[in-house]
Amino acid sequence: MSQRLSTYTLQLLLYGVLATPLVLFAVYAFSERWFFPALVPQEWTASPFARLLSDRRTLQGLGESLSIAAAASLLSLAISFPAARTLGLRAFRGRQAAWLAFFVPTVVPPLAIGMGLNIFFLQIGLAGSMLGVTLAHLVPTLPYTIFTLSSVFARYDENYEHQALALGANPVQIFFRITLRLVFPGLVVAGLFAFLISWSQYLLTLLIGGGRVLTLPMLLFSSVSGGNPASIAALSLLFVTPPVLVIAATARYLGQHGAAVQEQY
Amino acid sequence: MKRYLSLLILFSFLLSACSGVVQSRSTTFDLNDWDSVVNAAKGQTVNWYIWGGSESINRFVDDFYGKALKERYDITLNRVPVADTVDAVNQVLSEKEAGKDPGAVDLIWINGENFFTLKQANLLYPDWARKLPNSALVNWENPAVNLDFGNPVDNLESPWSSAQFQLIYDSARMQPEDLPRSYTELKEWVVQNPGRFTYIAPGPGGFQGTRFVKGALYEISGGAEPWSAFDQATWDQWSPQLWGYFNEIKPYLWRQGETYPKDENELHSLFANNEVDFSITQAIVGAGALIEQGLVPETARAFVFDQYMIGDFNYVAIPANAPNKAAALVLANLLLDPELQAAQILPENGFGLGFGIDVNRVTDPEDKALLEAAAQKLGQAATPAEDLASSLVGDTAPQYQSLVEEGWRQYVLQGQ
Amino acid sequence: MRKRVLSSPWLRLAPALLVIGILFGTSIVYGAGQSLGVMAAIGQQEASLDAYRNVLTGSGPAGREFWPSLGFSLWISGASTLLSALGALPVALWLNGRRGQSQQKETLALNWNLAFPHLVWAVALLLFLSQSGMLARLAAFFGWVQTPADFPVLVRDRLGFGIILSYVTKEIPFLALIVLAVLRSQPENYAVVAENLGANRWQRLRYITLPQVLPALTAGSLLVFAYVFSAYEVPAVLGVRYPRALPVLALDFFTNPDLSSRAEGMAISFLIAIIVILLAVISIRQNKSIGET
Repeated sequence: MSQRLSTYTLQLLLYGVLATPLVLFAVYAFSERWFFPALVPQEWTASPFARLLSDRRTLQGLGESLSIAAAASLLSLAISFPAARTLGLRAFRGRQAAWLAFFVPTVVPPLAIGMGLNIFFLQIGLAGSMLGVTLAHLVPTLPYTIFTLSSVFARYDENYEHQALALGANPVQIFFRITLRLVFPGLVVAGLFAFLISWSQYLLTLLIGGGRVLTLPMLLFSSVSGGNPASIAALSLLFVTPPVLVIAATARYLGQHGAAVQEQY
Repeated sequence: MKRYLSLLILFSFLLSACSGVVQSRSTTFDLNDWDSVVNAAKGQTVNWYIWGGSESINRFVDDFYGKALKERYDITLNRVPVADTVDAVNQVLSEKEAGKDPGAVDLIWINGENFFTLKQANLLYPDWARKLPNSALVNWENPAVNLDFGNPVDNLESPWSSAQFQLIYDSARMQPEDLPRSYTELKEWVVQNPGRFTYIAPGPGGFQGTRFVKGALYEISGGAEPWSAFDQATWDQWSPQLWGYFNEIKPYLWRQGETYPKDENELHSLFANNEVDFSITQAIVGAGALIEQGLVPETARAFVFDQYMIGDFNYVAIPANAPNKAAALVLANLLLDPELQAAQILPENGFGLGFGIDVNRVTDPEDKALLEAAAQKLGQAATPAEDLASSLVGDTAPQYQSLVEEGWRQYVLQGQ
Repeated sequence: MRKRVLSSPWLRLAPALLVIGILFGTSIVYGAGQSLGVMAAIGQQEASLDAYRNVLTGSGPAGREFWPSLGFSLWISGASTLLSALGALPVALWLNGRRGQSQQKETLALNWNLAFPHLVWAVALLLFLSQSGMLARLAAFFGWVQTPADFPVLVRDRLGFGIILSYVTKEIPFLALIVLAVLRSQPENYAVVAENLGANRWQRLRYITLPQVLPALTAGSLLVFAYVFSAYEVPAVLGVRYPRALPVLALDFFTNPDLSSRAEGMAISFLIAIIVILLAVISIRQNKSIGET
């Protein structure tokens, strides 16, 4: 009985903690002039949302956030694919060193990376551009795609490729028909992490973008200092929607690789 | 290791070589020939770095200036919202550090402290403000206009609007006759109503807090005049009493002064939720624009002390490495346009700062009527104009800014 | 496949190494240069340790605030990490005890936590727990408090409880998933054998389960600590004016227009990095198995 009870308590806690923010945002986003001690808003209105969506900046922020996160995760996947395969399948001298080279950027604060890159990118003309911000996002995303994919490749059986080769398949066919299919779930999870890391990145965007690259975290931060709870809540809802959709779409792969590293997020 | 390093350097050179040739758009104009400026500006995009913390100001800028620029001059406005003006200044400084010209910033809504920084570093586009056609409407003889934080404007920036420090109370909670009218009275009120008052932490992003502290400095030292020029001895003489005042009220503040709101909006939120009884604003419409935005209750009203309410003009400046100087000049001129000046003070437009021009210099009868009508419509949430005028004083010399901010952190916040 | 043997593993690692090397390498070189006050365009060529001296022993604004900030940062990261690890264990054990559908469902629920970036999470906490937030309104509704001041200070408090709470609720799912993965990969035989030998639940936990999950939990905790210690968003939203977390302090100095102040900000962020890396090295040495995660 007590076991039952504690299970229910834990379940309630788990779902409660996850649902509360969404409910909270939804209520605040449709309120106006809702001050203490009123428990429910005196007036319900969609005007915070209307304001948010009619603001050119919001759509621009959404667009820039999506493009940067998509570009950063695709680039990460492409660059880390050969590296992860090697790290996962081969034993070679210096493997530890290579592993360390990818590990160190994950513990160095984005703050330090952003401050240094800021000057370098200014000199080569990348500061304040979407390309510059995307490249900067690679510093935190790349290690995670490499680690996730190399753990996938560590369980990968190369014999399928050998067989295909013996049956006369060419390398391109092997890549698309065998390799890609076998590692696809891992690829999706790695891509998801890269997307989420880039999506939530504030400091690197601020320091490299110099205010000209406007992603949703930038807008949310400025809205938080703007102090209007309705606008903050509406923007927060908009901000979590794409991750929610992406996670929902990839949920079945997440189950298989759920414990992969998901920090910095 | 050395080999890798040289490889790295080589690569960065290659990268910079590739991207160095991106843009070299040169549009020539002669500042003394305004038509040439307008022609050069045609089709340009002006990157205006502007404090983005207020949604209603953002909307006002886009709706009024953005539209007018496009329609009248074929210029695209790119409003770049920054959390603090310092961010724009940093952008210019970083560009200087990296030797980048043209840079990214065309126009900055600047305050006295940052103007001082850029002026000292020689990073401002020189000799333009009084050459704008609309600059004839500006009263350049007024020391409040030709000095910014006591620092000569020197034709390096052009005014946009005016503002004055005020307090806000809720007329549903308090009566006008119960309001404190000086720092001395405020202290009594705070002691009698523990936990019901706080002010914005002075510092970057909290310049209203800095003003609040400076006002106390004026009252304690008995006048604003000594502070218009920098003198270390004067500071050393009065600053201990200043920190004394704030440390004496500290135990009676909201949360016993262990922390303070970071910016104006955080204080508005405390005020709106009945956590404290006063807020702070700079707007000439008082609480009007804040009510419009739903940040404070509709019963909120502005008021001032009898003396030492610091007011000043807001300016825009152009960095020396601005990529689109012509468009920036056109925008700076547009800001002084009588029609838009009238629009900016109306509470419903959400900007709410005062005129940058002198209404008496406007000759066009239609414009003049427009401006005078706008001045009548400030609404009941504004401080009466005669109260504003009688309590108005100028800001201190710029050197006091960091002394006040750092001193407050050290002696009041950290209590050392 | 034979041909592949010829290609060196380094060739396949090259793109990733190059990208990390250039971006990360230059950021470190430039950052170090700036923290040492070497800024070519300004004309200052000589390196000096002034910024570090100001931060570590100075009597200026940076020196006055660095040590309290360091203490504060260590406190919030230490407490967040410890509480997350302690909280993750029971959650993982509970989930591991459940079977089939319900287990999958809840594991998925843990993953949903990913949808909330730290910034959003902190904002939600602020709306929920501030003195005029949702919880305070509920309390007022039931008549437990009259004014916001009666409600306890749960966020934006001087001891950083709000910050810690934000991290703990966010990191427990993360660590629980790591522990769960280890538990699932373990054969149950040990526990069965132990049970047959008469070990009670507590003994099984203490002598079988804990040693199994501890390496992974330590590694995960290290990541949590490194993250919390160097993250900016949450302490910026949920912190107070003083003391400030180190990253907040660093960015504040870095964005100060005074150029010497910028070097100090850079120096602080380097000190953060050095502390985190030192910690990583120490725990990797103590726990070789981290490399295998």
